[in-house]
Amino acid sequence: MQMNLKILLIAVTFITALYNVNAQISKAEIVATGLTCSMCSNAINKQLKSLTEIDSVVIDLNTNTFVAHLKKDNKVSPRILKERVEKAGFFVGSMVVTMSFENVEVADNNKLEKDGYSMVFVETKAKTLDGENKVKIMDKGFVTTKEFKKLSKSLSEYPTYMEGKENDYHVKVLLP
Amino acid sequence: MKALNLILIIFITSSLHAQELFVVTDPASNVPAGSVSVRLSNSLFKEIIEDGYNYHLMPEVTWGISGKLMVRASAFVSNRSNTLYAEGGSIFTKYRFFSADDLHSHFRMAAFGRYSFNRADIHQEQIEIMGHNSGFETGIVATQLIKKLAISSSISFEKALNNIPDYDFPAAQSSHATNYTLSIGRLMYPKKYVSFKQTNINLMLEFVGQTLNENGKTYIDVVPSVQFIIHSQGRIDIGYRKELYSNMLRTAPNGVYVNFEYTFFNVSK
Repeated sequence: MQMNLKILLIAVTFITALYNVNAQISKAEIVATGLTCSMCSNAINKQLKSLTEIDSVVIDLNTNTFVAHLKKDNKVSPRILKERVEKAGFFVGSMVVTMSFENVEVADNNKLEKDGYSMVFVETKAKTLDGENKVKIMDKGFVTTKEFKKLSKSLSEYPTYMEGKENDYHVKVLLP
Repeated sequence: MKALNLILIIFITSSLHAQELFVVTDPASNVPAGSVSVRLSNSLFKEIIEDGYNYHLMPEVTWGISGKLMVRASAFVSNRSNTLYAEGGSIFTKYRFFSADDLHSHFRMAAFGRYSFNRADIHQEQIEIMGHNSGFETGIVATQLIKKLAISSSISFEKALNNIPDYDFPAAQSSHATNYTLSIGRLMYPKKYVSFKQTNINLMLEFVGQTLNENGKTYIDVVPSVQFIIHSQGRIDIGYRKELYSNMLRTAPNGVYVNFEYTFFNVSK
């Protein structure tokens, strides 16, 4: 019985490890700003759906929240999603992405290189990320203008934050 | 002015959703990048000097070049010469140069320009390059959305040219004017969204004015309208235009609009 359990555990760990080899965005929850009409929401919906890497989009028309489910092994960066919203004529007020991590040690101001872009962890206590985690993107253009003004003060201790480099994302790990 | 303030207060204090897809004016927002919308505008205006009605048919195609820039081509057809006659066309462009968006509000500004040609006879002092005069118009528009209420206002300069080949612009009339608009819109239905398939019903109230720069003659019209948005992709407007004040010659100031529009998303990348 105990032997079986061990095998099962090893198998589960192995499968999880395989699944996590490509740590990509699996889901993005985007709140769009500056719109109140369903025709406007539809414009964003159509823009997101035109990305081949997107599987489906679930929308709450009352809060203008777009939950985009992405295909496996996609190479979509947060910026690509943001550009889609802006092409529809609107802006991103909040973006929370779900990503898979494989035993990644993170600490405040740590930089994690990914293919094509990097993530700097802000307001984050040292911990190990394993499995799916949600991170909120704190950079300009991913938060409302008002929130960015506040963050410019509270995150001023992170030297890369104010540099605002295109492929540096400053992220905060959200509690599960 | 008091009535205006009252109307504004009624719209501001109502907590309903708002729309800015106005019927006779354009908001500072543009159509989505890569989308093409096709509109068929019909208007029927009553002649006040002669008997009868003026029918104008205006097919339009709008293309979103980017999220900030759009262009529109329009054609003007009317029955003023007793049979349907293609009188002219127009090209319009609008660039959104300022946006301050927040979760439940936005303030946007755009600059626009229009050039029209028309070969119909010139029969009134009012300058209207949308179907009557050759000429150009340039201006700016600002749109504010506060807690789902949309108010939009524009000011523009309009210059009439000769309606070539046959009709020169009368030298005795002012050939240029200042136009100003104020539009307010709100969503009446649904109160809560369930899906894109729900028909939305919007009520609009628009004020449109013109002052001829050379002699100060002015008109002000009001245009109440109801709008149906179908499947978040189609649109039907029914509006009524009524002259509130005028001291210039206008041959058919009052009438109705019935417009049909359909948006094709992601036509170009």
